[in-house]
Amino acid sequence: MSRGKRIAGALAIPAGVLIVCMLISMSCGVSLFGSPLSRITFVRAGANVLLVTFALSINLNSGRFDFSIGSAALLSSVISSMITLKLNAGPVVMLILSVVIGGILGLLSGFVYVTVKLPPIIVSLGMALFYEGMAFTLTGGHGVSFASNTALLGFGTVTNYLLISAAALILMIAVFDHTSFGYEYKALVSGQKVAVNTGIREVPNALICYLIAGALMGAQGFISATNNGAITMSLNFGSISPMFMAFLPMFIGGFIGRYTSDKVGYLLGALTSATISLTYIRLDIPSSTQQIVSALLMVTFLIYLNNEGKLKQLLKH
Amino acid sequence: MKNRQRKINAAGILNAAPVIGLILLAAVFVIIALVKDINLSYSFKNIVNQSIITMVVATGAIYIYTLGAFDISLGASMCVSAIVGAMAFNRTGSLAVMLAVCLGCAVLISLISSLLASVFNLPVFVTTIAMLSLLNALVMVLIRANGTGDVVQVPAAAVRSINNVWFRLLVLALFMILCVTTFNYMKLGRQEKFVGGNPLCAKLTGMNAKKLSVIGFMMAGIGVGLGAFLTIVYAPTLSRNTAGSVGMDVIISIVFGGMPVSGGARSRITSAAVGALSMTMLSQIMLVLNLDSGISQMVKAAIFLLVVSVSMLNSRKQILPR
Repeated sequence: MSRGKRIAGALAIPAGVLIVCMLISMSCGVSLFGSPLSRITFVRAGANVLLVTFALSINLNSGRFDFSIGSAALLSSVISSMITLKLNAGPVVMLILSVVIGGILGLLSGFVYVTVKLPPIIVSLGMALFYEGMAFTLTGGHGVSFASNTALLGFGTVTNYLLISAAALILMIAVFDHTSFGYEYKALVSGQKVAVNTGIREVPNALICYLIAGALMGAQGFISATNNGAITMSLNFGSISPMFMAFLPMFIGGFIGRYTSDKVGYLLGALTSATISLTYIRLDIPSSTQQIVSALLMVTFLIYLNNEGKLKQLLKH
Repeated sequence: MKNRQRKINAAGILNAAPVIGLILLAAVFVIIALVKDINLSYSFKNIVNQSIITMVVATGAIYIYTLGAFDISLGASMCVSAIVGAMAFNRTGSLAVMLAVCLGCAVLISLISSLLASVFNLPVFVTTIAMLSLLNALVMVLIRANGTGDVVQVPAAAVRSINNVWFRLLVLALFMILCVTTFNYMKLGRQEKFVGGNPLCAKLTGMNAKKLSVIGFMMAGIGVGLGAFLTIVYAPTLSRNTAGSVGMDVIISIVFGGMPVSGGARSRITSAAVGALSMTMLSQIMLVLNLDSGISQMVKAAIFLLVVSVSMLNSRKQILPR
């Protein structure tokens, strides 16, 4: 495939969605990126979605469905914010703590998975319940408020969100595309049994995957907490909802991945998703309509993806 | 020969782990209740009341899980069906119409999910994620259009005559008879297990996996519809949070009852009932012990993982499961 074709293929969906969203906004007399607040909203949504998409895709691509990523984000942000508030430290300390604690929680999930050898979906259900319960107990069910340390709320700038997104992208590309761990990961994704029979050590590979996913969710938990100024508690799987925002960008990213690296695909998928979110906000669209439109978009896109061959044949005839 | 017999015995004990777990939990509960001087009959009635809706919905969902599929939208489907059923009752004043509408709505939603998956070759799980989003939005639209404030209500007096544990047990018993018969004694169950265990082999022997999937989703829809009806009877004020945790409770119950999430030959129709009862029993024990909600959930998670680990000890492979 020529370079031009690859660039065009990679940018077709995000650029197309951007143009459609801008046209819809303009027809309603609203400028999509007209105010600084819109730009922050867009970049923050992009960063949030990107981190969750990376975290979900690492394990999902290996056939490991992880319900516990949302609870890992919740618990890591609770622990890191409690330490930060106690030390009266700044947002950078909290970010580092969130990432480290998220990584540890991810590693713990992975450790339980490789030890009990149960299907990952079951382990993740148990771990999600456990982490939610722990976060609830640590805060006495009251959550955490940043009212006593307003410096933490000052983190939300375009530059900071861009830096976190760039760091996540570089980490993902470096680790998964340029290390022996990444090559082994890809071998395990495409043929688990054959890869294991050729001597690839599956357990350490899975543990590192969980560690990275947890660290990414730690960063996402930090962004969410510092943006809201508080952390509210969830029990009975209330923490799994952030996971759902990653599906559409993941599918879009998978499609774009045909023309470029899948990581860049996820980035472009996250930007597409953020553009749609910003349009909802700028046009003040009710949340029920947002949910319906997003679900229909996802189903339509998947119908296209799963029936691409048939559609092409139909068009030929 | 002796070794083989020993292995068979061990496998039997491991298979019975969920039932043994339930008996142990019941024993622990009775001991704690006696020590703390708690009314046992009232407590058991409470346990049945709380677990019956999950038991009904999860038993229907077994038909989906046996195929190796997975539906995360069951709770949202139940909420929509209950709201539409309540609206039908408010228009007609008939409980029979309410039941029919709950069932019809739930089966229709299930059929849409299964048809989307089979006609357009979509992964079932992804279809149900999209359905979850659509149904949650539909709940908000329905409540806004027909509710009083943030809720849709059925007068409590209208359902008082059937708001008792015996009626709920009757509904559960009838549904269990239907499910046990079709799952254990008819070819539907055998074919479902075959397709779930080895889809390629089942296809080569002439089985229509898509047709089985549609029937499986329909059975799940009946469970959801009955669950919606029982929800209205038990708590006639419906909001967007109604049945919020049912989707996940169903998965937990099925797994806790000893059924593999991958479906197939080891699927058991009674798993859901055993699992739902065990989870509610566990919650009641925590409640009686006056544990903090967070700690109670952590203990539940640990016991859940422990019991499932034990019940699946004989199905471990060399490579990590996916």
